[in-house]
Amino acid sequence: MSAVSPRTRLTVVPSHRIAVGRGLSILAALGIVAITLAAMGRSPIELAGLVVRSTVGSRFGIEDLALFMTPLMLTGAAVWVGIRVNLWNIGAEGQLYAGATAATAVGLFTHWPAIVALPAMVVAGALAGAAWIFIPAAARAWLGVSEIVTSLLLNFVASLLVYYLATGPWADRVTGALASTERLHVALPELWGAVHLGFLLALGIVVGLGVGLAKSRFGYETAVCGSNPQAAHYAGIKVAPRILAVLLLSGALAGLAGVFEVAGTVHRLQGGLANNYGYLGIVVALLARGSCFALIPAALLMALILDTGIVLQTTQISSSAVLAITGLLVLAIAAGDEMAAYVRVNRN
Amino acid sequence: MADVTHASNAPPAHLAAGTPPILELVNIAKYFPGVIANENVSLNVFPGEIHALLGENGAGKSTLMNVVTGLYQPDAGEIIIDGYGTTFPAPDAAIAAGIGMVHQHFRLVPRFTVAENLHLGWSETPRRLSGKDIEERASALSKKFGLPITPSAVVSSLSAGEQQRVEILRVLSRGARLLILDEPTAVLSPVEVGELFSALRRFRSEGGAVVIISHKLDEIMALADRVSVLRQGRLVGTHQTCDVTPDSLVTEMIGRPVTLATSYPRQSPAPAGGEAEPLSLKQVTVRDAAGVVRLDDVSLALRPGEVLGIAGVTGNGQPELAEVLTGLKAAESGTVYLNGKAANRADPAMFAHAGVGHVPEDRLKRALMPGLSVAENMALREYDRPPIGGRFSFSMAQARKFAQMLADRAGVKLPGTQVQIRGLSGGNQQRLVLEREIRIASHVLVASYPSRGLDIGAISAMRDMLARARDAGVAVVLMSEDLDEIFALSDRIAVLYAGRLMGVMDRADADRESIGALMSGRNLSEAA
Repeated sequence: MSAVSPRTRLTVVPSHRIAVGRGLSILAALGIVAITLAAMGRSPIELAGLVVRSTVGSRFGIEDLALFMTPLMLTGAAVWVGIRVNLWNIGAEGQLYAGATAATAVGLFTHWPAIVALPAMVVAGALAGAAWIFIPAAARAWLGVSEIVTSLLLNFVASLLVYYLATGPWADRVTGALASTERLHVALPELWGAVHLGFLLALGIVVGLGVGLAKSRFGYETAVCGSNPQAAHYAGIKVAPRILAVLLLSGALAGLAGVFEVAGTVHRLQGGLANNYGYLGIVVALLARGSCFALIPAALLMALILDTGIVLQTTQISSSAVLAITGLLVLAIAAGDEMAAYVRVNRN
Repeated sequence: MADVTHASNAPPAHLAAGTPPILELVNIAKYFPGVIANENVSLNVFPGEIHALLGENGAGKSTLMNVVTGLYQPDAGEIIIDGYGTTFPAPDAAIAAGIGMVHQHFRLVPRFTVAENLHLGWSETPRRLSGKDIEERASALSKKFGLPITPSAVVSSLSAGEQQRVEILRVLSRGARLLILDEPTAVLSPVEVGELFSALRRFRSEGGAVVIISHKLDEIMALADRVSVLRQGRLVGTHQTCDVTPDSLVTEMIGRPVTLATSYPRQSPAPAGGEAEPLSLKQVTVRDAAGVVRLDDVSLALRPGEVLGIAGVTGNGQPELAEVLTGLKAAESGTVYLNGKAANRADPAMFAHAGVGHVPEDRLKRALMPGLSVAENMALREYDRPPIGGRFSFSMAQARKFAQMLADRAGVKLPGTQVQIRGLSGGNQQRLVLEREIRIASHVLVASYPSRGLDIGAISAMRDMLARARDAGVAVVLMSEDLDEIFALSDRIAVLYAGRLMGVMDRADADRESIGALMSGRNLSEAA
């Protein structure tokens, strides 16, 4: 009857539609980037070749991707566990710093063998990450104070604290490097080139988190609290302790990202160590939507963008390009997800 | 067939033949995945008419009205306003065309005052505006449309009926010529229903058109000029109200005749007296957050295998009574005895584990997680025990199986157990909640307004379920605004007025006059 065939919006979008939608979105975003580069007088094909060769096309490139992915998977997971129950931890950056600081303390000031020191660093880092979000979490759970603002503001405190330590009491007096501590006494074992055990651990943590939440009573109860606190109360589930638990878990995950950075990748506590991984974790979590396992490809995509940015910088393209590309891609994917929800209706 | 169609499309008898309709729907269709919500629906509404829309739960009434108000786009068909074909890309276009809707679930900002809510989205908001200005304007509107309100009251402190008046006033103040009401009387006390109807009649006499969705046939017969019936998304017929009877409408809605029983005889003899009371209240007093006494010195004992009907005008302490009986709220003074033991902390988990089921008044807000799947919602009461879960574990596969089983028993056709429960119709949500709660209610079942939003077939099934629970030895508490329902099911009837228990009497000794007197706050001695 009408000229346009009827469409309707699906309430639950099947994952294959999302996959197709995102594939097309990424192509569209890359197309826009290519057009922009061409307009700047650069050859998009040449640059694309360079990017591919220096990322997935070479061993060093792949190692780099894995190193970028390691913290992104964990900060992504940190934000994702919160979003799942309607809590927004914007402070993964600060918790990452807290975790890195605690791990550094163990790595600098003990002389334990690696087999003791590394687990101690992991535990200390996770606890420090959780501790860094404790006040926002408790305020949210019992007083209803928005966790968004409080967790965000603590990022600046953590970042400045790390600068203070790395330039003051813990500064490297041997090499005189700026804003950095000495090299830690222990390091995570390297598995393949520069790729260290942290990568495998991060993969395992993401998978374990996904399985654990889907199959645990804790996962169900927190989902109920997130969806409707009144219904949780009606069912006899105490909401406040579960909000606290989820946020502490979130902080611990971000703390682990910091541990693996200092213990595996950077080997020192430096100012600016977090490299925006905490904020990019929000993007990773949003890209992963409802699925914890999707954090892995989302982190890979984010790592590719970061790496691309570095490659482009070597060809005199502004470092802001990486931000622009990230924004473009997120926009395209959000639009793609929305469009994937619409289907034609077959009428007979 | 031709002249039948012609007759049903004619304006109501009191309007002149040839009056142009304000709204005409032509072959409207709306599809959702796997579901035909509406198909081939043609309907017209005239100025100066009250037009009732009837149908079972899920028959497509709300969807059709969402199409008319621009919330949904029709997948086929035409909307004609005042003779001109039109489309509503968004609700504001429908509002601009003079169509206003009052939804079943109110769309007010609870923390704002009545005046602030009335002026949300006001197109002529002046640059400078004080709270006093909008309160004055709100009072003026209230007078103009004859709907009494308190402009400075905060919406969350109002009763459902008062909130509804605010909604209606807001819609009318935007110049609505066609007012659509989705089950407006479901949440109202009888007095409020009377006030609503006189306001609607006044609106009609001034040339306004009303479309009213309702399950209450008596009200439709009393109020509407014409009636349209939907079944499974299609229009079955449009009639002048004077040409139909409630029975013929029910037959048309459901496809077969249904009558509600006026009594539910026991299948087994009533348990002898002297059995332990599963739940009782001793001089319980409850205040709300504002410090107002909501339950005043109430003493009450439930008996196993008996239905205790709670009669009373809405807003006289029923929600608080339900909350105290199910452990959601602690008594401020007095004692709650659960299986003979004092239970004075608010501990809903303990009550649930002791076999107290609860169908709350507002199921979507209290008893369901709208954004989660049907499976997760149905697991809410039994997630902590096998087969769904244990001390630490939870099995989604088992939860889905469980949800499917409940849906089959409740007679609800699901598009799948993984769909969000908010996608189901209100009636289906209610059936699922009832089925879920009856399962855990081994000793006590508190049902607050369980027939709200249900069609007559579902009400009949719900009442059978309550009677079966009673026969199985459960102490059932039934709160209802429908005295027929209370008389049909109850063994004893208690009356609440202003938070006080006016009296508890056996069904055999109760009659409408005495209950009605107690409901209005008069003691029996005064009434006699």
